[in-house]
Amino acid sequence: MNDSNLQQQLTKAQETIRELQQELEETNKGLIALNLELEQRNTELAAVNKELEAFSYSVSHDLRAPLRSMDGFSQALLEDYTGKLDKQGKNYLHRVRSAAQRMAELIDDLLALSRVTRREMKHGTVNLSALARIVAAELQQGQPERQVELVIAEGLNVNGDETLLRLVLENLLGNAWKFTSKQPKARIEFGVAQYDGKPAYYIRDDGIGFDMAYVGKLFAPFQRLHSADEFPGTGIGLATAQRIINRHGGRVWAEGAVEKGATFYFTLA
Amino acid sequence: MKSRVILLVEDNPDDVELTLRSLKKHNISNEVVVAHDGAEALEYLFATGAYADRDPKIMPAVILLDLKLPKVDGLEVLRRLRAGERTKLLPVVVVTSSKEEQDLINSYSLGANSYVRKPVDFIQFSEAVKQLGLYWLLLNEPPPACEGE
Repeated sequence: MNDSNLQQQLTKAQETIRELQQELEETNKGLIALNLELEQRNTELAAVNKELEAFSYSVSHDLRAPLRSMDGFSQALLEDYTGKLDKQGKNYLHRVRSAAQRMAELIDDLLALSRVTRREMKHGTVNLSALARIVAAELQQGQPERQVELVIAEGLNVNGDETLLRLVLENLLGNAWKFTSKQPKARIEFGVAQYDGKPAYYIRDDGIGFDMAYVGKLFAPFQRLHSADEFPGTGIGLATAQRIINRHGGRVWAEGAVEKGATFYFTLA
Repeated sequence: MKSRVILLVEDNPDDVELTLRSLKKHNISNEVVVAHDGAEALEYLFATGAYADRDPKIMPAVILLDLKLPKVDGLEVLRRLRAGERTKLLPVVVVTSSKEEQDLINSYSLGANSYVRKPVDFIQFSEAVKQLGLYWLLLNEPPPACEGE
């Protein structure tokens, strides 16, 4: 290779370096601008969240007051005008009271659901086994007469937000507890299985189960497969659990059969 | 005992009506002074404005204080009465529909003696009013210089 050839190649290399340097500078400028935008968005988001929180609190507080009036004066009628009301009249007033109380429950549940969505996640190691044991103990304490066999797998540690994951367990274990309440003895199991190479945590019960034909409705808010007389609840529990699992990057699904119990699975990212 | 006065600070007229009814139902016939907002409550307690002619030595045996009030809110009323020489020892029961932990913390921090949540269910509400009335008017000893002549 002769001198001028080398010279040419050197010049070309230097040019390329200059071009690359320029590109790098542009990219850096772009990144700085993006970062700034991101910070601004974060500040806005924090402000919006704060407003939403104040709004929800105020709304739920203000919505409860008229409910108290409806419930209170219906009861006042039942007590003070009992002689002037026939059976049908009293029945109507009972329904007014029921409806007011039900709306109060719905308000509480909606508030909880919206909090779950807005809450900042605090990531850490969470011992799901220990959490499950605590939740189960609370359930048993609430109804000491229930005979429930609880099988909780040990050492299930995951990465996530402990408060939110506790809510998931309270929901899923609470459901298992609730829908096995019509039988003298129940069995509830909490463990882990493998699904598509990832761990899937499950809560299995041997209770009233559900028809797989309706599995699509399970997680929709306020959708229930049983009447409030059979089993209490507003139908927001599973929607809340699903939202939390989604925020963790996982998914939740269920399998069941009528009178043969149900199993709820969830994965985390 | 009968001369013990309750100061009810509540802006919702329905809640006032339901509270008075509950007290009556449970044979609690003590005088109830109703203040419909925080400013009125302070005027009563400090015997100013609309209550300038009131004998300031007579104090309520208990104050049932709602938090969300027009003009001056409940926590501010609490703050000011805990700062006043004649009013700082008065028993205050915060009665509110708020379930917010911050309200609990703030109320107790400012010196509330008790915090009771107003349930939507009237039967529970009535029971709560009864217990409050019986406890604070009969069982509890109010601070001295509080009973009427």
